Amino acid sequence: MNRVRNTVVQSAYIVVMAILCGLGVNLVRPDGLPVVQAKESAVTLPSESGEIAIKDALLLFASKRALFIDARSGFEFADGHIQGAVSVPVDDFDLIYPKLADRFGKVDAVITYCDGERCPLSTDVARLLTSRGVKNVFVLKNGWTVWNDERLPVEKGQQLESLLGVRDTFCVECAK
Amino acid sequence: MKIAAAALRMLVAGIFLYASYDKILHPADFAAIIKDYRILPDILVNPAAIVLPWLELILGLLLAAGKWLEGALFLVNALLLVFWTALVVNAFRGIDVGCGCFSTAREGGGDMMWYLFRDGVFVLLGLAAWYFCVLKRDIAGKRS
Repeated sequence: MNRVRNTVVQSAYIVVMAILCGLGVNLVRPDGLPVVQAKESAVTLPSESGEIAIKDALLLFASKRALFIDARSGFEFADGHIQGAVSVPVDDFDLIYPKLADRFGKVDAVITYCDGERCPLSTDVARLLTSRGVKNVFVLKNGWTVWNDERLPVEKGQQLESLLGVRDTFCVECAK
Repeated sequence: MKIAAAALRMLVAGIFLYASYDKILHPADFAAIIKDYRILPDILVNPAAIVLPWLELILGLLLAAGKWLEGALFLVNALLLVFWTALVVNAFRGIDVGCGCFSTAREGGGDMMWYLFRDGVFVLLGLAAWYFCVLKRDIAGKRS
């Protein structure tokens, strides 16, 4: 009985010592490991908000981990947009943002896009989002063209929130 | 008999001290090896890589000093059995892992059978050390 008690007590002390030594040394050493490792992902996100590569955007799209923001005009959005994207023209940002605010925290990335290598709209919307405290905002440069060139999923139709000033998330005639 | 017990204890102590050395120096490499085993969930990989080498070091020191032998030899045997079982499981799964037993170099396998044999011997050594240093000593103590 005494042996069992000794075994249990000593084992507990030894394990506690090992945990304290391990964690303590890990804390002070320069090559210490993070105790909780971030989940590995094939997606490479820029360390600071910036441009995201099409491959990474596609992975996030396929796993439904990104919210795509179409920064073009409502009419262009109606003519075709990335599947599931939300229309947020720069001029309507202040009106639309409150309706979307609760969706930003539910995704790993917010990806803005417009059309053209020098299109400033996606960058403008990204800047506005970042200024409102939205994290992980990235720009898919020349997004609409690049997405189409790769024949990735798109849809047509228009959200009323970007049409005629009506603010509603209802989607009219959304079809592939 | 005392000499045999002491020799076994020192041998197992040496194995554990030697095993801890490289892992303490290279925790990231050791974490990668643990991950290769595909047994622990990801969230436990780094904590295991941080704590396990220190557990081995402390156990080695305690065995060498002849202190807290009941607890130390219980943990030594538990660890050796776990390590050996992990190797057996991966051998059956066909996963060729770097052993990570004494070195954090991720050498590709081909030596799985050798690892299994060697670690099996360690398990027997651990059990023998426990028998001679704890069980036998208790029996002798009761008789006297």
